[in-house]
Amino acid sequence: MELRSKKAIVTGGVRGLGRAMVEKLVENGTVVTVFDLDAAGLDELRKQQDLVNCVECDVSDYDQVLKATGQYHEQFGAADILINNAGILYSEPLIKLTSEGVARHDAGMWNKVLAADLNSVFYMTVCVVEKMITTRTRGVIVNISSVSSSGNAGQSAYSAAKAGVNALTAVWAKELGPMGIRVIAVAPGFTDTDSTKDAVSETALRETVKKVPLRRLGKPAEIADGVVSVIRNDFFNGKVFELDGGLIV
Amino acid sequence: MDAKVENLLSEVLQMPASDITDDLTMKDVDAWDSLKHMELIVALEQGFEVQLSFDEIVAMQSVSAIKRVLRERGVTS
Repeated sequence: MELRSKKAIVTGGVRGLGRAMVEKLVENGTVVTVFDLDAAGLDELRKQQDLVNCVECDVSDYDQVLKATGQYHEQFGAADILINNAGILYSEPLIKLTSEGVARHDAGMWNKVLAADLNSVFYMTVCVVEKMITTRTRGVIVNISSVSSSGNAGQSAYSAAKAGVNALTAVWAKELGPMGIRVIAVAPGFTDTDSTKDAVSETALRETVKKVPLRRLGKPAEIADGVVSVIRNDFFNGKVFELDGGLIV
Repeated sequence: MDAKVENLLSEVLQMPASDITDDLTMKDVDAWDSLKHMELIVALEQGFEVQLSFDEIVAMQSVSAIKRVLRERGVTS
């Protein structure tokens, strides 16, 4: 798919990987709309990227997604590209040994991570694809997964959500392919973003970098390049594109 | 055009062509669900080189409706 003049929605596009994707798409002449719950961040983004349309929306809330996508479709019609990037990177062991004894993984956080990282992908995709189908738009859905989808110790909720994202990618590629809609996942490895530093301890991150053959973290711009590549390649479909510096080989 | 439609339906729904009659509808065939319907639409679009609108896709829920929509689109053979 040629990117120029196409309409893209990027969820969680205010900062980190999402922001790098927004900048890369804008560079390529794509009309970008960011869905994000960070109102202050959206204000800041508006000032820095005047070509970007900003929508305040918690994509883990179905009612908000219904309303926001409805308004988007009224203004722009069907999107050509949806990048499901919003989510929470969260680490917590299943069972924690503390000075006071044993503690279980917080069930509230389990639900919150699943809502942000998996439910949001379903909510956004079902609303956006409905419009693509009814207008016969041949679009692309890019789900941002993670190398943790294969199971990362200490990340029950995050790993489960991302494995779910990979499964949805395969299901939707099969269901929507005949309509000319491609569905792809991009799975970054450990990337140099604030959310990585917030969720993973410095020691753990240092140890992880030692396991990466390239001995460094990924850069957000490199992940954004990967996303743009799979959007452009019209034969890439239903697969997970791993961008991890060779961490999983 | 009629025979080509019947052959495409027979192929997609995996039914004998002789069972594809004009009064056959989606409701009559278990295998003709919404996923199979989309497969059928793609086969019709490729077979007759047309791009159907969503309203036409929704309307094509019987063999006679499929033929009618294609005729309205100017398909003759």
